[in-house]
Amino acid sequence: MPLSEFFKLSGIAIVIVGLAFRLRPTLVVVAAALVTGLASGLPLFSAAGKTGIVDMLGKGFADNRLMTLFIITLPAIGLAERYGLQQQSAVWIRRIHAATAGRLSALYQVFRVVVGALGLRLGGHASFVRPLILPMAIGATETDGVKPAEETIEKIKAATAASENYGNFYGQNLAPVQAGILLVYGVMMGLGYPVGLWDLVKYTVPVVAISLVLGFIQFALLDRGIRRDSKRAKCPKVTE
Amino acid sequence: MIDALFSLETIYVLTGIVLLIFSFLTFRDRTNPHRLSSAVFWMVLGCIFGLGAVIPNWLTGILVLVLVVLDGAGRVERGRSYADLVIQGRHALRLRNRIFAPVLTIPLVTFAFAIGYRVVGADASRGALLGLGFGGIAAMLVALKVTQATTRELMHAGNQLNETMGTVNILPQLLAALGVIFTAAGVGNVIANVIQQVLPANNLFLLILANCIGMTLFTVVMGNSFAAFPVIATGVLVPLIIRPFGVHPAMAAIITLTAGSSGTLMTPMAANFNIVPAALLDLRDRYGVIKFQLPFAVAIWSFHVVLLWLLAR
Repeated sequence: MPLSEFFKLSGIAIVIVGLAFRLRPTLVVVAAALVTGLASGLPLFSAAGKTGIVDMLGKGFADNRLMTLFIITLPAIGLAERYGLQQQSAVWIRRIHAATAGRLSALYQVFRVVVGALGLRLGGHASFVRPLILPMAIGATETDGVKPAEETIEKIKAATAASENYGNFYGQNLAPVQAGILLVYGVMMGLGYPVGLWDLVKYTVPVVAISLVLGFIQFALLDRGIRRDSKRAKCPKVTE
Repeated sequence: MIDALFSLETIYVLTGIVLLIFSFLTFRDRTNPHRLSSAVFWMVLGCIFGLGAVIPNWLTGILVLVLVVLDGAGRVERGRSYADLVIQGRHALRLRNRIFAPVLTIPLVTFAFAIGYRVVGADASRGALLGLGFGGIAAMLVALKVTQATTRELMHAGNQLNETMGTVNILPQLLAALGVIFTAAGVGNVIANVIQQVLPANNLFLLILANCIGMTLFTVVMGNSFAAFPVIATGVLVPLIIRPFGVHPAMAAIITLTAGSSGTLMTPMAANFNIVPAALLDLRDRYGVIKFQLPFAVAIWSFHVVLLWLLAR
């Protein structure tokens, strides 16, 4: 392969370096597009039968407007938030009865999957985990009003944060209008392999199922660890 | 007439109008330190939405460059937010579960359209997208009815939410455009050639392994599986797996995307998901969330490789 071919990869290098250095992602991506086009000898604007880079950028952006269509849902969601959507959701989450921190994390993961499958953007570390799930999980671990050990609390904090991520990342692909699904839909169409939104959802199902199983296993292990810790704390001399 | 009403273009125009209203509200918002340039950003995006099918591609391309320059210069800001938790709590006590009606309207209409389109034998993907658009409109009406708020307040709330989410909203669209240019430039072929020098082209398992490793590595470095996907799809997935082996494109594509999610679970680069929460929850170890997620990420990644291989054979 001639060396000049490798210049075409300069765009990828720009994306990697730019995002790794936390530059503005929009700027990084468009810079990568321009450099890649120029490095492979495409004109900036269409000329002499060759499609220009800016033309392709415009067409690619306009063809994929569906990815940003959710903006039309923002007025309704924003208004609902102003009229207590989060607070009323909190009422429901407080009704979750879980005996242990691990089971609560598992149930919250299920909740996030359901929310994702409905195509909603409801949840998050700031709005649900910190004010609701974490205190509930620590509360479930207290025995006879005694707070769990610091080490245990660290583990519970990490687990509740992770349950938000597990439920969010995999569950959102169950709705055909979520960002990840639409990205795949648009990119595959651009590559000449059109795919159906519902087909994408269908093949997400086994992945979501295993994410729940793995989450449940990990949270059950967490509960076992917590029980061991608290036993050790209660009768420290037994272990000797 | 009916066809024109129920076309994606109608939804895009409606979204464009919403964006123009947002732009106007941003322009009037004196608490926004860059209200003019911010308003221009949302106005230009609104124009691309409304007119994207009509104006020539080179002009859309220039408008995209305007968006990116404004954002790159840090000129797109948001106004002060008016979130009042006490008032929200009072409304919640009054409205109770009725407040869910508007947000649940959106999936309800989305699924109704998708099912309707499937029943009459039309494209259910298109049905879902139309449903999302009309669902958004229906949800506005339901929200107004339930809350008894004014249209002005509705749009204010929408604008505030849009400003909070910010310019990163257009990133997937930009990434898709980047994918188009990668394809035209032949980036995929270069990557595919390099991989073929190393791996035998007839060994599906090794190629799937390379595909998933590449997707995850790129995600770890960039902190974003959405950015990694167009690169891997053009360079590995399509030329080395889908095309030569005739593998189901939808299956292979979506499993590749979530293989990247393992990368997101392991990387401090995905700060919003891993580092910020650790600070928010006062973990002593800022990598505590990542450490907890690591065994899960490795396990589910291995599952992706096996699943993709089994379904591709």
